[in-house]
Amino acid sequence: MSTRWWSSTEFAEFLSKLVPDSISRVEENACYLVPEKLVEAMMALRDDADSNFVHLTNLCAADYWDKFEVIYHIQSLEKNCIASVKVEVLDRENPVLPSVTSVWHGAWLQECEAYDLYGIRFENHPNLTRILLWEGYPGWPLRKDFLTMPGGLQPGLNEFAGTAAKPEPPVHTVE
Amino acid sequence: MSEIVKTEPFVMNIGPQHPSTHGVFRVKVTVDGEQITDAEMVIGYLHRSMEKLAEERTYTQNIPFTDRTDYLSSMSNNLGYCLAVEKLGGLSVPARGQAIRVIMAELQRLASHCMGAGAFANDTGAWQTPVMWFNRERERILDIFEMTSGARLTCNYMRIGGVAFELRSGFEEAVRNLLPRLQQTIADGQELLAENEIFIARARDVAVVSPETAIGASLTGPMLRGSGVAWDIRKADPYSGYEKYDFQIPIGYKGDAYDRFTVRLEEMRQSIKIVEQALDDLPGGPHSTEVPLAFRPPAGEAYARIESPRGELGYYLISDGGPSPFRFHIRPPSLINLSVLKEMTVGASVADAIIALGSVDIVVGEIDR
Repeated sequence: MSTRWWSSTEFAEFLSKLVPDSISRVEENACYLVPEKLVEAMMALRDDADSNFVHLTNLCAADYWDKFEVIYHIQSLEKNCIASVKVEVLDRENPVLPSVTSVWHGAWLQECEAYDLYGIRFENHPNLTRILLWEGYPGWPLRKDFLTMPGGLQPGLNEFAGTAAKPEPPVHTVE
Repeated sequence: MSEIVKTEPFVMNIGPQHPSTHGVFRVKVTVDGEQITDAEMVIGYLHRSMEKLAEERTYTQNIPFTDRTDYLSSMSNNLGYCLAVEKLGGLSVPARGQAIRVIMAELQRLASHCMGAGAFANDTGAWQTPVMWFNRERERILDIFEMTSGARLTCNYMRIGGVAFELRSGFEEAVRNLLPRLQQTIADGQELLAENEIFIARARDVAVVSPETAIGASLTGPMLRGSGVAWDIRKADPYSGYEKYDFQIPIGYKGDAYDRFTVRLEEMRQSIKIVEQALDDLPGGPHSTEVPLAFRPPAGEAYARIESPRGELGYYLISDGGPSPFRFHIRPPSLINLSVLKEMTVGASVADAIIALGSVDIVVGEIDR
């Protein structure tokens, strides 16, 4: 028996009954939550007997040039099912999101890591510090506009990364 | 004669250069006398920004990076990454490739647990002798890896769609000769360590993690199973044909350092069982499917996970349809298992903190990536 993945429509239907107005939109592979309702919704998902998402498996962020996304993979060990939940962070200058450490203690280090590499501040986190890099490191390395080599071109892009709004189809020369 | 001795808080570093930290890992502990009142870990000494580098390389070029995250179990890392790419691209692996992957992953678990159990014995004070017994057998497993892939530690053996090469002639014989020796080493470990009075006194009731804490802190692997939660990805979400093999999930009942050690020993026995079964009915046919070198999976995302020796190793990939991943994220079991470091060490003595850390079985390359 393999783990059952909740489809996003099924998940949205379930969550809208549990916590109304907590979903911003539903896409094919994940359900997007409203940041203000994030902690309430996650708490309800953890405590409800039907969902029972007691285990936060994975938490990571991703940069889409115009926005950040934080992805949560939450699972129930008893029911052997897993769901993918996302939250969008639109403010690139000052990205803030509520912390889910009050729901799962396991979010602690993973949120620190997302803060360290993307600069997303998680509010109400007990001790949000940079863990892999040192305090005062210039920039947020996993953002797309951070160059791996100073003054270099971002591989895969034909513009300087900081100036390109959104990359056109990436140009690679691997074939 | 009554003289009251007062102590005051004192900050002390364990590591980064200390044998008990298993790599460049530092714990800043505040001690009051012998008791730890606060523990804060400092990591990042080995940070190589693999997640960033991987965004600039093709999917196949990223496989060697995964070797270097958890350098004690490169085969498992290869497997997890390849599964994620295959999930993303909708590829399938031939039956022989799957069986070879299972054999390699289980041999890797044996090698890694040999190191974990030996190093833990070191931390409890059984200085160097057990670690040498275990390493003697681990070295034989690494010889088999060298024979198969050309490298002992950074094997880079798996490929998207299968494995890199066919098994060398004499492989099966070498593994079959090795398994009884391993069985004997595990029995020795059981007899001389797990049933040893001094070892029990040292490791029992140290660094206890309750099942509720373990689940809430996202622990996986022997850390979670040591706390009595029977959760193993190989059973719960079988990959690479694990549903075909007969094996059990060992669990502890107290959630202390001793339970984690015995869970690892028992897991090694189960791994031997799996390797034997896989060798007995190793299917014929191709070892890999043909995948173009500049492989471009369709736009989308995939999260694939395996039971690595340290816990749930997940790879989360986002593709934009290009030849390199748009986002490459590793869920490192070593890092997340350290979520409970504070819970395990606060209130304990410094000597017990060393045992707590040893029982997590961390690999710093995976924590820092």
